[in-house]
Amino acid sequence: MAAQGCAPRRLLQLLQLLLLLGAGAAGAQWRGEGTSRNLESIFLGRCAEYSSLLLSPAEREKNCTAIWEAFKVVLDKDPCSVLPSDYDLFINLSRHALPRDKSLFWENNHLLVTSFAENGHRLMPLCDVLYGRVGDFLSWCRQKNGSGLDYESCPSSEDCENNPVDSYWKRASIQYSMDSSGVIYVMLNGSEPKGAYPVKGFFADFEIPYLQKDKITRIEIWVMHEIQGPKVESCGEGTVKILEERLEAMGFQYSCVNDYLPVKLLMCVDHSTHPDCALNSAAASTQRDGSSLYTDRGATLTMALLMALASGAQMQLEPPLS
Amino acid sequence: MPDYEFSPASGDRPRSWISKQVLIVLGVCLPVILALAIWVGVLTWRQSSMGATDHVSAIVLGRCLTYTRNMHPELRNQDCKKILNTFTSAFVSKDPCNITKEDYQPLIDLVTQTVPCNKTLFWSRSKELAHQYSGIQKEMFTLEDTLLGYIADNLVWCGDPRTSEVKEEFCPYRNENCSSTATSVFWTVVSQKFAESACGTVYVMLNGSGTTAFSKASTFGSVEVFNLHPDRVHTLHAWVMHDIGGVERDSCLGSSIKELKSIVNQRNISFFCQDDYRPARFVQCVRHPEHPSCSVLM
Repeated sequence: MAAQGCAPRRLLQLLQLLLLLGAGAAGAQWRGEGTSRNLESIFLGRCAEYSSLLLSPAEREKNCTAIWEAFKVVLDKDPCSVLPSDYDLFINLSRHALPRDKSLFWENNHLLVTSFAENGHRLMPLCDVLYGRVGDFLSWCRQKNGSGLDYESCPSSEDCENNPVDSYWKRASIQYSMDSSGVIYVMLNGSEPKGAYPVKGFFADFEIPYLQKDKITRIEIWVMHEIQGPKVESCGEGTVKILEERLEAMGFQYSCVNDYLPVKLLMCVDHSTHPDCALNSAAASTQRDGSSLYTDRGATLTMALLMALASGAQMQLEPPLS
Repeated sequence: MPDYEFSPASGDRPRSWISKQVLIVLGVCLPVILALAIWVGVLTWRQSSMGATDHVSAIVLGRCLTYTRNMHPELRNQDCKKILNTFTSAFVSKDPCNITKEDYQPLIDLVTQTVPCNKTLFWSRSKELAHQYSGIQKEMFTLEDTLLGYIADNLVWCGDPRTSEVKEEFCPYRNENCSSTATSVFWTVVSQKFAESACGTVYVMLNGSGTTAFSKASTFGSVEVFNLHPDRVHTLHAWVMHDIGGVERDSCLGSSIKELKSIVNQRNISFFCQDDYRPARFVQCVRHPEHPSCSVLM
C-alpha cells in the first residue's frame, strides 16, 4: 500500500513538488501538505456515513465523537514525535470485523483498487475499513512551535519519520494485516518502472510482517500491466520474485496471476478499442451495434468480418436508428 | 497606607489582608469563569445552529467538504455549512408529506455547478452500473457525481412539525396519502436542474433486462427528458444494457425506445440508440469474467 494511505503516490509527489516551489516563496516549514481544512467535520461525517451504511447492525453503535477524541490527541503533539502507538486508542475504538477472503493489499494502482473494490462490496482494501476511511486523502499536524494546527505544511517522511500521517498509516496498516484472514489478495503494478513490489514500502514493512499465518489460507498475487503500458515485470520476475520468495520463506502458500481477468476487464472500460480488449468470436457475433457514431464499431466490424471469413458464420449488422 | 506583602507568611494575618486576597482571587477567577461560560454557551449555540449533531447532517457536511476540497477543488469556494443549513431548512419543522419545490429553491439557487458539455449521463433502472461506469470514466457525470446529488445519495431524511430535528428514521414513504416527501421532492428538483443545465450530446443508460427500457413513470421519463433544453442539447444517445446471462426483455428495437425516440425528436433533439455499449459492457464483465460474451483475446 502506498504511503499516505490510499492517496495516489504520483499526485502526492506533484503536490509536494508544488509545495516545495511554494515553500521557497512562502517559507513553509515542511515538505508535506498542510492540515486539511475542516478536518473534524470531514472526519465525523465519514465516520457517521461508514457506520450507518457499511457496518452490520451490531457494529453500528460506533461512537464517532469518541473516535475523534481518541484520534485528535496527536494534534497536540510535536509533529515529529508522533508514534504509531499514539493511535492505539483510536484503532481500538474504530476496529470492526474484516470479512474473510476480502482483504486486498496493493502498491501503485490506487484508482484501479478503488474501482475494483466497489466500496468494500467486492473486496475491502484499507480505505474501505473505518480506520482507513476516516483519514483517506487527509493531512494533519500540529505546528512545530505552538498549539494550533499547521495549515501550511506538515512533515513528510523526508522531514522526519515520526510524523502524524505516516504513523497513522503505519498503525492502520499493521491492524489491517493483523485482522485479515482467509485468502489474501495483493494487486501489483507490473508496468511500474521501479518494480512491481517496492522492497521498502508500506506493504513490505508494515503489512507483510503482521500477517497472521494461522488465520491465512493462501496469498494470491495479481500483477497487472497497463493497457498500452510496458510489461516491466511479471510473475516470477524481478521484485515479484523477491516477494514470492519472501512469502515462501515465511511459510505462506501463494500463487501469482498475470493480468487477473476481472481487473483486466475493468481496465478495458477505458480502452475498449484496444486490441488487448478485443472480444473473441463468440462475443463479437452476439454484439449488435445500432449506431454509426462510435469509433469502436470499426474494430468490431473488422473482427466480425474476420470471424465471418474464418468460420463462414452469418453476421447480422443492424442499420443505425436515426 | 500599609505595605502588604503577598509572600505566604505563617501566623496571624490582618483581616483586611484576607479580604483583599479574596477580592484578588475573585477578581481573577470571575472573569475566567465568565469567559468560560460564554465560550461554552457560544460552542453550544454554534453546535445547534450548525445542525451537525444528527447523523444526516454530519454525513451531508462531511460529503460536501470531501467533494469540494478533495474531489472537485474548482468548487472550493462553496460554503458547506451554508449548504447544509439551506438543505435542512427546506424540510425541518414541516409536514413531511407536503414539501414543495419552492422549499428547495434556495438550495438550487445557492449551488451552481456546470457539468461540461457532452459529459452528462442519465440513468434509469441502472443506477449501480451507471455509477460504476462514471466512477471509472471520471469525466462523465451522473446526477450523483454532482455536488447536490453526491451529498444526498442513498440517504433518507425528513422533518416533523413537532420538532426542529433532522430525522432519518420513521420517515413516511411516498404513496397516495403522502405524495410529496422531502426526499422525493429533492430528487425531482435536482433532476430537473441537472437536465436543464445539460448541453451538447447527452447519454442515458437504460436497462434492457427489466420490464421496459424506457418508462414515462421513471424520473428520467417524467422529469429529465422533458427538461432537456433544445437550445443546449442537440443529441441524446441511449445505451440499452442487458444483464450478462440475463433475459433480454427490451432493446433498441423495442417499442419503449420508439416512444423515447419520438418524445426526443419532437423536442428537436436527435436520438441514437446502442445495445450493450461496449465500455459499459466491460464493467458488467468484471463480475462475469468467464461468460462467453466477456471473453477477451489476451
